[in-house]
Amino acid sequence: MLDDAESRRYSRQTLLFGKEGQEMLKRTSVFVAGAGGLGSVISFYMAAAGFGKIRIVDCDSVELSNLNRQILHSNADVGRPKARSAYETLTGINPEIEVEAMVETISEDNIGDLLRGSHLIMDAMDNFSIRYLLNRAALKGNVPLFHGAISGYQGQATTIIPGRTACLSCLFPRAPPPSTFPALGSTCGVIGSIQVTEAVKYVTGVGELLENRLLLWDGLNIAFDEVAYERNAFCKECSDVSRSDRDAMRG
Amino acid sequence: MRIALPDGSKLEIAEDGASIEVILKNLGINPEEVIVAKNGKIVSEEETAGDSDELKIVRFVHGG
Repeated sequence: MLDDAESRRYSRQTLLFGKEGQEMLKRTSVFVAGAGGLGSVISFYMAAAGFGKIRIVDCDSVELSNLNRQILHSNADVGRPKARSAYETLTGINPEIEVEAMVETISEDNIGDLLRGSHLIMDAMDNFSIRYLLNRAALKGNVPLFHGAISGYQGQATTIIPGRTACLSCLFPRAPPPSTFPALGSTCGVIGSIQVTEAVKYVTGVGELLENRLLLWDGLNIAFDEVAYERNAFCKECSDVSRSDRDAMRG
Repeated sequence: MRIALPDGSKLEIAEDGASIEVILKNLGINPEEVIVAKNGKIVSEEETAGDSDELKIVRFVHGG
């Protein structure tokens, strides 16, 4: 149930999905992996939208070079853990929701605990190593994973729903070579916003999701493109085929 | 075969059934940095493509 303040707070978006939709958001707990460029945008808009619980995890402290894009953090936060300014900013935007901000490095050892109770996983990572971990956890827990990534003017997004779509490893069977990527705040804005839009649609049950569709953003030419993808029958993460069967089938 | 390159430019080449892996190597593109769509759908490097196919080579990103 929404109280009077909540009804007023969300009045512009309940025009879209009614109080019932808002209550669905209120009942949804999300895990935001990272409080950087994407994580800032994602958590900001999810807090504003009224997702009932946001658990955001980041092991880093704020650096000056973060501030061109990481809008959760301000100049005064340089040197402090990102989780701290994340907590302050998100609860400042919306005191009606529960925010848990943790200084943690996501790993194989703690991912289960970190995800406990979360209904959605928001990918705000900057490396595929952890993305693959999130993917495995999504598959294991049957939890949707909203993938996003950026570099410079470019970005991509897709929505992984275990049991319904291909998984992240079907789409990206191997990580790209590591590199320092250029980062523009507005690119984080585009892609992070798309990820949140997907999450809102998923929870409220409307629209067409980016299922088995990779959305590509080209900010230089202001153009979206998309390519389709499908489950890999031999995927090491989501396929039922064992490694020995896989090798035998491949001859 | 029509190929859309990561920089947005387009190429037309004659090709009679080569694997995506070979096509990428011939173009000087590192397969680890891209995914390739054949006729609109992402395919593996082992997939072959011929004259009537359209490829789109996408440099995927990893930042956040």
